Amino acid sequence: MTQKIPKKEVKIDISDGAAIPVRKDLGLFNAWWMTFFGAIGIIIYLCAVKPDPYWRILKFLPDGILVTFQVTILSILLSLVLGLITGLGRLSRNRLINLIASTYVEVIRGIPLLVQLFYIYYALGRIELFKDLPPLAAAVVAMGICYGAYMGEVFRAGIDSIDKGQTEAARSLGFNRAQTMTLVILPQAWRTILPPVGNEFIALLKDSSLVSILAVSDLLRRGREFASESFLYFEAYTMVALVYLVVTLFLSKAVSKMEQRLNYYERD
Amino acid sequence: MSGTRPTIEISNICKSFGQLHALKNVSLSVDTGEKVVIIGPSGSGKSTLLRSINRLETIDSGTIIVNGQDIYASGSDINVIRQELGMVFQSFNLFPHKTVLGNLIMAPMKLKKVPAQDAKKQALNLLRKVGIQEKADVYPSMLSGGQQQRVAIARALAMNPKIMLFDEPTSALDPEMIGEVLDVMVTLAKEGMTMVVVTHEMGFAREVADRIIFMDHGQIVETGTPEHFFTSPEHPRTQKFLSQIL
Repeated sequence: MTQKIPKKEVKIDISDGAAIPVRKDLGLFNAWWMTFFGAIGIIIYLCAVKPDPYWRILKFLPDGILVTFQVTILSILLSLVLGLITGLGRLSRNRLINLIASTYVEVIRGIPLLVQLFYIYYALGRIELFKDLPPLAAAVVAMGICYGAYMGEVFRAGIDSIDKGQTEAARSLGFNRAQTMTLVILPQAWRTILPPVGNEFIALLKDSSLVSILAVSDLLRRGREFASESFLYFEAYTMVALVYLVVTLFLSKAVSKMEQRLNYYERD
Repeated sequence: MSGTRPTIEISNICKSFGQLHALKNVSLSVDTGEKVVIIGPSGSGKSTLLRSINRLETIDSGTIIVNGQDIYASGSDINVIRQELGMVFQSFNLFPHKTVLGNLIMAPMKLKKVPAQDAKKQALNLLRKVGIQEKADVYPSMLSGGQQQRVAIARALAMNPKIMLFDEPTSALDPEMIGEVLDVMVTLAKEGMTMVVVTHEMGFAREVADRIIFMDHGQIVETGTPEHFFTSPEHPRTQKFLSQIL
């Protein structure tokens, strides 16, 4: 008769983003610190020992980093909007809406990102209205549509993880469906949704290197430009890889910090 | 009870989950100010009956009229009707992302547009009534089960409902916390609130109920005053149930 309601522990991990540190290996000598300072150390070492070409390459890259961030942040914003709509659509009781959302997810997940990028880029080029769309905008639209499908699954799982009793309590007070979602469910689901969204963000940052093919001068393309002028392919890509690594590790740290702060109302 | 208008009028409702008939032709009316306690073994349909009163369950046939409105009619706005029906759940269902005060003022502020100051004042009064005003600013996860359930009752009362529905409010509690929740419910009953309570607490039923309903297999088996129930139950199924539980 006196059963305690078990506290829910929900974790979703569905991406190839960088490893988000778990609390138990937050010590000084863990993989994160090793990799992060290893990478920075190598960059400093290379620039100090062989300033030509390494320091020259490093000076050449910042414009590309900026573009990479631009593409990543704009794409993630678009994919969050699409993801929320898709996630709600997948949970909708309306058969048609449900079918449309599910089909979108199936189609996108079934086509490689690179193919989608090419396809959307050239498809947009055929539509009169989007003919003069700058490559960066086209890249953002393509990445956003692609990641929107993955994000939709994250939102669906996050919303699904909230106990049905919460909906019943809100509805029994007189809140309608939309109010229940915005006032009760989403503020709680956010906590479950954020870690995988952070993961997707990191994954998207890495996948954004694909847009270098669409004449967007992101980090990878800047590296390629340098290499094709100087023929120093190995040196250029070494620096590009190291810069990606540092940025990605930095972000994964930020995500795990954010995750910890979100647990404010949970008793430990 | 003659003269008072029935607040809840349930006529011939049926409900099945697949093969299982949860409710078979159940009819029941509750008058204003009346306290009805529904008892019965688990799976007898008592929770389903209670939940159908504010349309948390759909029904297959029959009608339920609450405060003169047919709640399953297509034209009626269930969100408005529910504001008159407070509901308390077995698992409390407080909103964990809001403080105790936040839980209480949310519905009045958003649904009735009560100004924040007034909503807070009323919330604090309600918390005093259920005996936990000092916990206004903590999150629900910091409270014991009994405290959470008292907050849940206060949250339902914050909408000034005409009727309160209780779905096994003490079943998820540790034994020593049951009393504090029942005390709040007894106070509420004495103030004249119309109450429908599904419970296993026979002491509460005996003290508070105007009428006890015994259900089994989706049907109302026997109805009567507490005195009738605990001294001379008629139906053999009722006798068996009471002999096992008392």
